[in-house]
Amino acid sequence: MAETVFFYIFTSLMLAAAIAVVRHRSPMYSVLSLLVVMFCLSGLFVMLGAYFLAAIQVLLYAGAVLVLFLYVLMLLNLSPDSLNRANVFIQPVAGITAAGLLFVALCRVATQSPLPPTPTVAQPGTIEALGRLLFRDYLLPFELTSFLILAAIIGAVTLAKGKSPS
Amino acid sequence: MDLSLLRVELCVAVWIFVLLAADVFLAPAKKEGLSWLALAGIGIALVVSLQPLPIGPAPTGLFALDGVSHYFKPLFLATAAAVILMTQAFRPQMPQHPGPFYVLLFTSVLGALILSSIQDLILLFLGLELLTFSLYIMAAYLKTDGRSVEAGMKYLILGSVSSALLVYGIALLYGAVGDTSFAAIRAFLASGELTLAAQTGILLVLAGLGFKLAAVPFQLWLPDVYEGAPAPVVAFLAVGSKMAGAVALMRLLFLALAPIQPWWSPILASLSVLTLLYGNLGALGQRNLKRLLGYSSIGHAGYLLMGFAVGTLDSARAVAFYLLAYLVSTLAVFLIVCAATDELGGDDLDHYAGLSRRSPGLAAAFFIALLSLAGVPPLAGFVGKLLVLMSAVAADRLWLAGIGAVNVAISLYYYLMVVKRMYVDAPPSPSPVRVPAASLLALGALILLILGIGICQAPFLSRINLALIF
Repeated sequence: MAETVFFYIFTSLMLAAAIAVVRHRSPMYSVLSLLVVMFCLSGLFVMLGAYFLAAIQVLLYAGAVLVLFLYVLMLLNLSPDSLNRANVFIQPVAGITAAGLLFVALCRVATQSPLPPTPTVAQPGTIEALGRLLFRDYLLPFELTSFLILAAIIGAVTLAKGKSPS
Repeated sequence: MDLSLLRVELCVAVWIFVLLAADVFLAPAKKEGLSWLALAGIGIALVVSLQPLPIGPAPTGLFALDGVSHYFKPLFLATAAAVILMTQAFRPQMPQHPGPFYVLLFTSVLGALILSSIQDLILLFLGLELLTFSLYIMAAYLKTDGRSVEAGMKYLILGSVSSALLVYGIALLYGAVGDTSFAAIRAFLASGELTLAAQTGILLVLAGLGFKLAAVPFQLWLPDVYEGAPAPVVAFLAVGSKMAGAVALMRLLFLALAPIQPWWSPILASLSVLTLLYGNLGALGQRNLKRLLGYSSIGHAGYLLMGFAVGTLDSARAVAFYLLAYLVSTLAVFLIVCAATDELGGDDLDHYAGLSRRSPGLAAAFFIALLSLAGVPPLAGFVGKLLVLMSAVAADRLWLAGIGAVNVAISLYYYLMVVKRMYVDAPPSPSPVRVPAASLLALGALILLILGIGICQAPFLSRINLALIF
């Protein structure tokens, strides 16, 4: 029972914060809302028994990555007015329609087709179990992720250095 | 896992670091040589990929080196080689530092190579991300050109949305099945009823792949990106990225979703009709050649989807042949576009006016490549279209084949409009268009292939029949 209550607390908070990330005019508040999302997500991980993942989530995302975001935002020193949002009528209408359709579909999935119970793992959430998965069963995807990050780094450097279109 | 399965990918991966090191240590004046170094890497990987397939038990695990991947890997590498030659011809417009461009091309090719071997949804996602992420940056590579930056930005935003849909679909499918491997999904679908969660998951995964293929209604990004991105990148988008999406879809449909073919077949058939009509009707009024080729590539995606919708082994083989014909024709077109853009002063159709009087050979090559794309006998594109339509007729989908045939006629109109510009209109200046020797050689080889594949299909067909067994 307590689990269900906590699940709803975390998810509703996470959804509210996620909407704030997208909707807020000031990028600073968006980043801070993202922090709330990350904490709630790690709360969900704890409830699933993935303690290590929850700790990493807080350490890396809430700690390192978001601090970097804040740092960059402060360097850029954007004022809220500099982010002009085009007020096209079609935009919110199309967005709400698509989101509504997806919501209806997911509601039907949730009510009509119960998912099978989560398979129980022998050692839930331990570093050992995670390491076994990452470095043995899913070694190839793990290594490919490093190439994805390499491409992202090279791309960021290439696009950031030098002149931009005037 | 057995590393020999990954030999082609390992070649490409090692060469990424060779290119990075060379980019750091080469003197700025010698960086032109990087394109030859990149070509050498592709050449090595191509030789490795052409090694015969060891005969063994059916592949298991995340990654397979089977007939399908063995057929498509050399095609991806050949595309990359052609794109490198295009960057040489396109050099006046490229920025001074070409190193990162080739590294990103290689990571993109790595993603495509992985996609041709996937047996698992996790690898499907990673392969697509690797392929697309590199392309976002390559599309925006001309930083001083606002259109290129806009193209990269649009591609990034819409691509991220499609990735989100794909991941959501994978999560739902995992929730319904309890596993991400194609074999487990197949066993689940074969045994039980199709639950709503699995249906929604599969639809979302198909939507993510539809974005790659540029199938209606996921095609909105394509014309703007094609018009704005640098021409060599557009060539890789049109051939490499589309072929990778098609191979991934083929593996997903035939390895994982085969038991529910009656469910997905009508969905893909209706998407195919919409895609064909949108692409071919949209191309009619275009004034920019790259944009026109973008709409026509949506039309070609329609034929690929038609082959998938039919869902027989013959139609999968027809799609494999179609992709080969599409590859040689499209690469020939883009080699000419890349070589000519600088001298002609742009890539609008007006710039191509009177090309036959300026460079008769180039115009003739362009003529042949465009007719092959349109599907005129005896060229390669004709055989590809014929095989796809025949497979639809053989599976009693006469209406689908009929719509496909009507679209051949529509596409002939706009391809011939380009030809009319080249042969009838007066040129703005009489000076011939100079093309680098390497590009000219590649163009000659591609034109010979267009004619060769069209006239003598038997060796290619038997190669495909041996490779594609599901």
